[in-house]
Amino acid sequence: MTLALSRRSPLRTLADTRRLRSYDWPMLAAALALCLVGALLVWSATRTRLELAGANPETYLAKHLLNTALASALMVLASRADSRLFRLLAPVLYLGSILGLLAVFAIGTTINGAHAWIELGGGFEIQPAEFAKLGLVVALAVLFAQRATGRPDRPPTARDLAVAGLLVAVPLDLIMMQPDLGSALVLLAATFGVLVAAGVRAHWLLGLVLAGALAAVLAVKAGVLADYQLARFTAFAHPGRDLQGVAYNTTQAHIAIAHGGFFGQGLFHGAQTHGAFVPEQQTDFVFSVAGEELGFLGSAAIILLLGFLLWRGLRIATASTGAARLIAAGVVCWLGFQAFENIGMNLGLTPVTGLPLPFLSYGGSSMFAEGLALGLLQAIHRRTGR
Amino acid sequence: MSSAERWPVRPSAASAAQRRRLAVLRLLLGSLLLTLLARLAFVQLLDEHKPQQSAGLTHPAGIVVPAPRGAILDATGKVLVGNRTTHVLTVDRSALQQQDDHGRAVLAALAPLLHVSAADLQQEITPCGVHVPAPCWTGEPYQPVPVATDVSAAVVLAVSEHAEQFPGVAIDNQTVLDYPGGTLAAHLLGYTGAVSAADQKANAKLADSDTIGRSGLEESYDSVLRGVDGTQQVALDARGDTVGAGTLTPPVPGDSLVTSIDANVQALAENALVQQLQQQQRKGKPAPAGAVVVEDPHTGRVIAAASYPTYDPRLFVGGISSADYAKLTAPGADDPLVGRAIDGAYAPGSTFKLISSSDDVMSGAINTTDSYPCPGALNVDGRMKTNYDSESFGGPVSLQFALDVSCDTFFYAPAVAEWQADQARVDVGQKPLETMQKMAAAFGVASSPHIDLPADEQASGSIGSRENRMALWRANKADYCAAAKRGYPDISNPTDRAYLTLLASQNCTDGWRFFAGNNADTAIGQGDTTLSPLQLADAYSAMVNGGTLYSPTIGWGVLNGAGKVVRTIRPKVVRKVPVDRSYLDFFGNALHFQANHVVSGALAFDGSPIQTLIGGKTGTAEVYGKLDTSWLASWGPYQPGAPVGDSKYVVVGMIEQAGTGASAAGPMLRQVWEGLLGANGAPASAGAAPARTLPKVVPAQLSRSLLNPARTAATSPGRRPTAPPSSGLSPVLPSRATSTSPGKAKPSSSAGRR
Repeated sequence: MTLALSRRSPLRTLADTRRLRSYDWPMLAAALALCLVGALLVWSATRTRLELAGANPETYLAKHLLNTALASALMVLASRADSRLFRLLAPVLYLGSILGLLAVFAIGTTINGAHAWIELGGGFEIQPAEFAKLGLVVALAVLFAQRATGRPDRPPTARDLAVAGLLVAVPLDLIMMQPDLGSALVLLAATFGVLVAAGVRAHWLLGLVLAGALAAVLAVKAGVLADYQLARFTAFAHPGRDLQGVAYNTTQAHIAIAHGGFFGQGLFHGAQTHGAFVPEQQTDFVFSVAGEELGFLGSAAIILLLGFLLWRGLRIATASTGAARLIAAGVVCWLGFQAFENIGMNLGLTPVTGLPLPFLSYGGSSMFAEGLALGLLQAIHRRTGR
Repeated sequence: MSSAERWPVRPSAASAAQRRRLAVLRLLLGSLLLTLLARLAFVQLLDEHKPQQSAGLTHPAGIVVPAPRGAILDATGKVLVGNRTTHVLTVDRSALQQQDDHGRAVLAALAPLLHVSAADLQQEITPCGVHVPAPCWTGEPYQPVPVATDVSAAVVLAVSEHAEQFPGVAIDNQTVLDYPGGTLAAHLLGYTGAVSAADQKANAKLADSDTIGRSGLEESYDSVLRGVDGTQQVALDARGDTVGAGTLTPPVPGDSLVTSIDANVQALAENALVQQLQQQQRKGKPAPAGAVVVEDPHTGRVIAAASYPTYDPRLFVGGISSADYAKLTAPGADDPLVGRAIDGAYAPGSTFKLISSSDDVMSGAINTTDSYPCPGALNVDGRMKTNYDSESFGGPVSLQFALDVSCDTFFYAPAVAEWQADQARVDVGQKPLETMQKMAAAFGVASSPHIDLPADEQASGSIGSRENRMALWRANKADYCAAAKRGYPDISNPTDRAYLTLLASQNCTDGWRFFAGNNADTAIGQGDTTLSPLQLADAYSAMVNGGTLYSPTIGWGVLNGAGKVVRTIRPKVVRKVPVDRSYLDFFGNALHFQANHVVSGALAFDGSPIQTLIGGKTGTAEVYGKLDTSWLASWGPYQPGAPVGDSKYVVVGMIEQAGTGASAAGPMLRQVWEGLLGANGAPASAGAAPARTLPKVVPAQLSRSLLNPARTAATSPGRRPTAPPSSGLSPVLPSRATSTSPGKAKPSSSAGRR
């Protein structure tokens, strides 16, 4: 990635120092802390399973740390972008992610029922939906900012909304076809964030939310959702019904978290985790490791750290204008909603949709996309000064 | 550098309205996170009805303890298939995992004892998974993994004396099938194999580790022999490791099967067969295969059925290796898995004259007192059909003489007359009577003998008839026509080439026609007619016993573990053959080997003390492109002039590609008869007669090696060498009947005999 357009100047060293200072360090510290806690949780969740299979128990730990390092590099690269680059990159990012989503249908592989991955070889694969979240947020932000040029306080028109609707519909449909309900919901949440920040009239927003709810009901009735997705919702509504099937996952996660108590059973000492009772524990159910082994103390700290990170993000949004503000708002809503949905399903609060917990779950694509998103927030922060 | 290239410099640009919007988002996100915190606090701290923890608890599981299969015994109570105990070394992964080094030291110490590497052992005991390639453990992860079978006493001692050095390593006593007689009666006993998915679909009670009968009596009496598996209950912890043993439901061993096979007679028949094959081979004959059947004509029980080539059923114990299986089924191996005695179909030659004579006397075409021509050759359909070696016996002869010297032309005339009468019926649109074919069907030709073996291991044979001819033509028409068109370019002799081409072109257009000559061929057991040695024994048994055709049996009684008879298997009567008893007695007496007769079969018995106690009919069947099949169907012992029904045995012998009945099958059966009747010592069967009552069996004989239900004696599947095509054996066996029916659908039949 060659985003950087660093300007040569005699005062370069001085400028670099200033730039270094201009990062939002508290936010980055929170993100890094979450990544490292995530590494421990992933390690704990996978070491027994790997050992049982006769493999190196540190395999996932190593890969997770490698992903963190790569995501950090992407963050630094993205943090050097400026607004012009953004206007240039918006269509590239957006169209690129659409192409990625299309490529999934041609050469993708199916994992856990969703046809959402592209194998890269060597045990690596990417999930274009993760990058589509970023692409859509940037594209929407640039769209609304362009339309509002010169009239910053004028709310977006119906035509603006219609164009935005088209921009949303393409990746949303492609993701729903995989099908990946979780990512689709995150796209909607991020869009909602951009729309709110862009000043779309309140009654329109309300109308959109109601229309969305109606569409969801119709989708269920018309059978758009796959059987397993409906089954997950059913299992969510009636957790006791099918203990060995769909609800098994949530039940086991619930057991793990419930028995963490206040202080937890201690890292690597969770009986439920050690017994490998929770499927997908290093990815979608990594929070259950925290619940069991770090207890309320550790889990609440993770939620608070996430909250702190989101609060810093909104602060950056507040401090900026135009596309930058919309991007920041969109990214914050994306991360916030995804964290809520993921932790919610671990706690039996929301249905299981298959989403990673930002910064903590094992998974390259999501970490890279989150690294890029954080980098953009940093870029905005640095350019708006402090 | 325009300002547009930078992010707007300061927050003042954001209006109050815009800030309000972001405040809304902050509020929304904040409330979501608060919701999570509240739910977390409830789940972890406040919920009074927390779900029960899976971790730390144990859950029950069952280890299948396979039931030992029941034994198969001979008519005197001798064990044909029993069980033996073998030492199996098992490694318990749960115990290894509890070691500090996860059992590395144990495996390292064990490896040299078993002459394998520790890495291989580790690989073998790792449960199979996505990332675990074979060889890996396919059973339940908590089940001790058998890593070596038939381990030597030295290894057993080393492991048991240094138990502290080998935690988790145990020696199990496993029961496996044992064949005290080696290859004796292999085709009758059959073999077992691993349970396949298809078997489990058919019978849900089958465990993965079970074995199932795949051939012979093991297959047809599988439900009797298998028994009921037991279960060892164990407690598993969260990781799936065994932490305790619960109750044991001991397996119920399978019942035992007593057969009518007499091991001595079976051995006698097998020896005579092998020795005669060797003798014929020394004479330069191919003689690759043969069979002997010894049947009790009064009950239909099979006392011996020998087939060669044969195989060693011990190869199948614990699963046959793919190399061994490939060897048994290789093209040049001559199908040793196919038991010729019961599963091979051959042209019966003159032994068929029992049936044509029956037809002739019952239809009135011939009587037992008058004389009829027996020329050296007879013109049928414009083709000269000759006697063997064109031998002529001068003037007219009696039926007895014709049978004794096996005059073919004698039997052609009535067959041709019968055909002509039938053809007249066909010409006016009536159905042909085909009385000879009906007589053959009554004697069991062309229908399954329904012996108590798997249906696909017994040949039905076939009969030369209009219908059969049409069916054969339909099946082979394309080949005939193609051959006629090609004209046998690979045959160098122009006469042969022209003959074969003409034959093929005739067969192509007219191969469906059943000529008078074909009916004549049928009358002397040639052409499209085939029979298994067992079927011939059944037919001659009917002659001996006064006309009762039996479904022959091998199984005789089922014994439970205490040796008590729980079921007696009775032979079924198929029908009475429609022949007057006086005629059957006449045939039996006409063919007695007594001195003043010139019975062809008696030749081989010259000088034998038992010659005057036996009767028999030879057969010499032509097979296109090969040497003749040699037959002898015989019965006895009975005194000259005594009722043929005094006979206690019917013995049929057959040797492929060996020449005349008198020269190959004859001497072979002489050896069998001398053994049966005790000509050179004690008779093979006590009293020189088939056993009439089930043997008394001591339970110890049955249970001598039955399972001792100790905890570790989970007689798990054992080391099963990679079975040929997964586990299902029978689907890949060669189709049997066709491979041993030489000349069945060949054009030879229309060429006539001799």
